[in-house]
Amino acid sequence: MATTAPHRDPRVTGAARAGRWSVNAFTLALLGLWLFPVYWIFLTSFKTPREINAPTPTFLFDPTLENYRDLFTRFAFGRALTNSFVIVGATTFLVMVLALLAAYALGRLPVPGEKHLALWILSLRFLPPVAVIIPFYLTWQRLHLLDTHAGLILIYVAFNLPFAIWMLRGFLVEVPRELDEAATLDGLSHLQIIRRIILPVIAPGAAVTAIFTFTFAWNEYLMALILTSVDATTVPLTVSKFIQAYSILWGDVGAAAAIQLLPILVVVFLLQKQIMRGITLGAVK
Amino acid sequence: MTIVLAQVTKAYGTRPPAVRRLDLEIQDGEFFTLLGPSGCGKTTTLRMIAGLEAVSSGTIAIHGRDVTHVPARHRDVAMVFQGYALYPHMSVHDNLALNLQIKRIPRPEIASRVQLVAGMLGLDGLLDRKPGELSGGQRQRVALGRAIIRRPNVFLMDEPLSNLDLKLREETRTEIKKLHEQLRITTVYVTHDQSEALVLSDRIGIMRDGELLQLGGPHEIYARPADVFVARFIGSPSINLLSARLRRDGPELVVEVPPAAGAAGGLRRALSAAMARAIAPDTDPNRLTLGVRPEDFVVHRTAAPGRLPAQVDFIQPMGAVSFAILRLPDAATVIQERDHLIAAIGPDDDFPRGTPVWLEARGERICLFHADTGRSLLRGEP
Repeated sequence: MATTAPHRDPRVTGAARAGRWSVNAFTLALLGLWLFPVYWIFLTSFKTPREINAPTPTFLFDPTLENYRDLFTRFAFGRALTNSFVIVGATTFLVMVLALLAAYALGRLPVPGEKHLALWILSLRFLPPVAVIIPFYLTWQRLHLLDTHAGLILIYVAFNLPFAIWMLRGFLVEVPRELDEAATLDGLSHLQIIRRIILPVIAPGAAVTAIFTFTFAWNEYLMALILTSVDATTVPLTVSKFIQAYSILWGDVGAAAAIQLLPILVVVFLLQKQIMRGITLGAVK
Repeated sequence: MTIVLAQVTKAYGTRPPAVRRLDLEIQDGEFFTLLGPSGCGKTTTLRMIAGLEAVSSGTIAIHGRDVTHVPARHRDVAMVFQGYALYPHMSVHDNLALNLQIKRIPRPEIASRVQLVAGMLGLDGLLDRKPGELSGGQRQRVALGRAIIRRPNVFLMDEPLSNLDLKLREETRTEIKKLHEQLRITTVYVTHDQSEALVLSDRIGIMRDGELLQLGGPHEIYARPADVFVARFIGSPSINLLSARLRRDGPELVVEVPPAAGAAGGLRRALSAAMARAIAPDTDPNRLTLGVRPEDFVVHRTAAPGRLPAQVDFIQPMGAVSFAILRLPDAATVIQERDHLIAAIGPDDDFPRGTPVWLEARGERICLFHADTGRSLLRGEP
């Protein structure tokens, strides 16, 4: 592992070392560029309007929870938060269940035209939501699904399912078929094989898929904007509400964005090992 | 439990069938081996018995019950896979117990059966480990344990030893034999290793290109191969094949390998009365292939009538026995399939390179084949 311990490897020349350092510096700069807005969001969420609007940005100040309080009292943020959790949780759960079944069928059972089917499923993901959202709006209107949890869950499941199936299928085909066969001879049914053999074996991959699905649905804005109005609004919509006609409530934007970021940050931090394993699953044998 | 295959065929698309109209009857408690080169259809046959592969036509019956269309998980067969196929996320205990759990066998009984099997296979201290933490030999034993804990109708093994190193393979081979002696569960074993088949089996079925070439006990298959392919496949080093002809010499039938052009002598060997009787009368006497196992050649240092002159190329010591690699002046016309003869000699016999020797074919194990079809001419012989 010469790359992780450059100083101990005598073969690494000065030029190579310099090259490595410049790569590292570049990575750090890029990381800063990505992380600074996140940092700024959290900073802003604890500032008073006076601090926010100060001509020179301040980094040291008396933090206030006023913005958060405002969020929940004036803007019913709690409700949006609940909506988001319910809708996104249900979406993730349904997507995972359906995608596992579909991926198993595609990867393991004799499905006619399986190869074409797999590509076709993925191609659904290429569809830009903007292109179809108006027809969906009209359909949802007819079905009385506008501004309901079910309406949003349904469309989120539809949009996330193809990608999840594709990903899980990728993980599943890495699992040796002998394992299923051994389980079959041990008397397990297909559903038992999925639950007791396949799912535990591809758990890291399944975790990554679930996180992707969760993140997508959690951050989704366009479809939520068109298909909900009052009862089923989600967190991303609420964030945009602070951009008002004559002013932008930066403090509330910061607080709402911070709260929106939090679950994903927590999940990713807790599961980073699994995510890395999931991303490299099959790459390293 | 008997297994009966009747006219079983497996075809994939338009390719030639992997298994062709196979008829096979495996007896209760028998250790039966399907032996053949890769692609001969032996694994496909095994998988059809297991139910992992559907038959294209024909029927399979286990213990008198037609299971042709019974799903694999209801056939009550256990299988040891080539790659072991242990469940990587489960402990050894759970790997062993899964089938019993699925069958809803009460916990105390599961516990006692796991203990019993673990004891039999020396897995006692390993029950909490995951397969990833075991050595190859230990994994192999877990795979065996997972199969025997079920007390299945039928025990199927698909090249279970091929991932082990040589020493471990021999040990495990003995262990499998011992387990079979103890449990007497009908076993179908698939291998391409002829020595494994000879050591383990009550009976062997040799397959090639989806067809069963010969069925018989290890001795029978070794001594009386049905054709040249079987003769070459069984035995190591493999059998010597020579172009030969038949001559009538008074009351006797004599097989002879003519010497090189201009040379004196040549191999001559009178056939026993039984062998002579077995040869069909319409056999073309000039187009024969003679098969002699390396240990059925006697290597002499002196010439005598009926001995084939040859020259020692080099010696391969194998411990208990050595093999002499011998050259013939006209090898290309006399020896088939290779360019030298192999003869077993004593481990202490010393033949320097270039030593002239004379070969005698002895014993009742010589084989005669039709030169064109490769079929044995001695099939009818009792």
